[in-house]
Amino acid sequence: MDALTLELLNGVSLFAILAIVALGLGIVFGLMGVINLAHGEFVMLGAYVAYVAHTNGLSHWLSLPLAAVVLFVVGVVIEVGLIRRIHRRPELTILATFGLSVCLRQIAELVFSKDFQSVPNPVPGATRAFGVLFPTYRYLLIVIVAGVVAATLLAFTRSRFGLVVRAIVADRDLAESAGIRTGVTNLCAFGVGAATAGIAGALVAPLGAVEPQAGLAYLPGAFLVVIVGGYNRLWGVAAGAFVVAAVQTGVIHFYDAVWAQIASLALAVLVLQFRRPTPAGAVV
Amino acid sequence: MRLEAAELRSGYGTVPVLHGVSFAVSSGEIVALVGRNGAGKTTLVKTVLGVLRATGGSLHLDGVDITRLPPSRRVRAGLRATFQERPLFGALTVSDNLRLSGFGSESHHRVLDAFGPALSGRGSQRTGTLSGGEQKMLSAAIALATEAPLLVMDEPTEGLQPSNVALLGDHIESARNAGRGVLLIEQHLELAKRLADRFIVLEKGEVVDGGPAADPGLAARVARRLLI
Repeated sequence: MDALTLELLNGVSLFAILAIVALGLGIVFGLMGVINLAHGEFVMLGAYVAYVAHTNGLSHWLSLPLAAVVLFVVGVVIEVGLIRRIHRRPELTILATFGLSVCLRQIAELVFSKDFQSVPNPVPGATRAFGVLFPTYRYLLIVIVAGVVAATLLAFTRSRFGLVVRAIVADRDLAESAGIRTGVTNLCAFGVGAATAGIAGALVAPLGAVEPQAGLAYLPGAFLVVIVGGYNRLWGVAAGAFVVAAVQTGVIHFYDAVWAQIASLALAVLVLQFRRPTPAGAVV
Repeated sequence: MRLEAAELRSGYGTVPVLHGVSFAVSSGEIVALVGRNGAGKTTLVKTVLGVLRATGGSLHLDGVDITRLPPSRRVRAGLRATFQERPLFGALTVSDNLRLSGFGSESHHRVLDAFGPALSGRGSQRTGTLSGGEQKMLSAAIALATEAPLLVMDEPTEGLQPSNVALLGDHIESARNAGRGVLLIEQHLELAKRLADRFIVLEKGEVVDGGPAADPGLAARVARRLLI
């Protein structure tokens, strides 16, 4: 029973990490139609923000908003300098963001070296709950992710910005013709997408090594989540993360991690086979 | 305010549709643009609003070159259009469509009541569930309720019942009388004749005729061109 509880808690923790990593990808893909292959590198940069904050004696918790701000600025610069010029051409965005991901990894290598760095766990130890000991930091991670995802969903559903986003996703030309500056909204969306990746990176930094290739590990999972959950419904990112985490946790419990990855991929293929086209504008 | 197109050219991909169209619309006048299906009327509307990029020629609004401006900047400069197809965001509610056009909730009733009871109290309804005619009415009501000094209306009466066609005509006339300029793309020739101060006849992407609506020969020529 304890082993099952532990597996469930691990599953919830995995769900939280998948959700926060995929959130930005869902925003950028859902709104702008941009397949951002550099999203994993945004997560990596967020982890480096946490590392730099740690080496400068700042609290890890402070590194979360700091990573959001830094990555928002990075996202805005990339949107203006690169994405804006090509975002209506998916094949170019794939190539460009792939190139960008390589550049960002090389820049990280030049600045921080290839060496693995670490960010100490700000809350070491475990908490006993549901009859088992589970790392306290992971509990906090789940709570923080729930807060960030809920705040993002609220911002996209209850605000004027969210309404504008839904209008643009439904019909970009009509939105422009209603006087909506879609370029400014794209800029904000790309910045917010990068910012959530930054928070994700800073959050997962204490759980593993901080190194230039770290982002590569997160990208496939994030894409699986977006495929399974649907790319023009933001709440679908949360649902997709839940399903993928459940499948992976279940398969790991009965088999191993390799079969878990295969099962996730098979799930994504199945979803793509049976998904009905979503009506335009039924978003967020 | 004056909208002036000079030798305007545009099309879809490598297929040219407009072959150098010139016209002008000023404040306080209704210019009816007529032509048969495929003449390029909707392409002209899209090009004027900037949804379709002009491949040649120029567009000026009060002397300012807007040829390369995105649609949102043209709207902010004073242009407003209603489209023949997909005039509104069907997946959003009627109120959301009003909010997107800058109407606060206090003014929703005023816009929705413009066409009598048909749209009254339907703010929370999904726009895509309105009938085609109701969507056209709503789209026209929104455009007319804005402060835009220049309106471009693409087939606003299509799908409307006769009483609403007359009502829409009255609203367009009121807009003209209030000093606004209207470029009216209209198949409904009787309405065009009732409202227009000037006619432009478009054929195969070119202006082939036009002039003051008071010209007795023009109305007959227009009717003949549309019937042939």
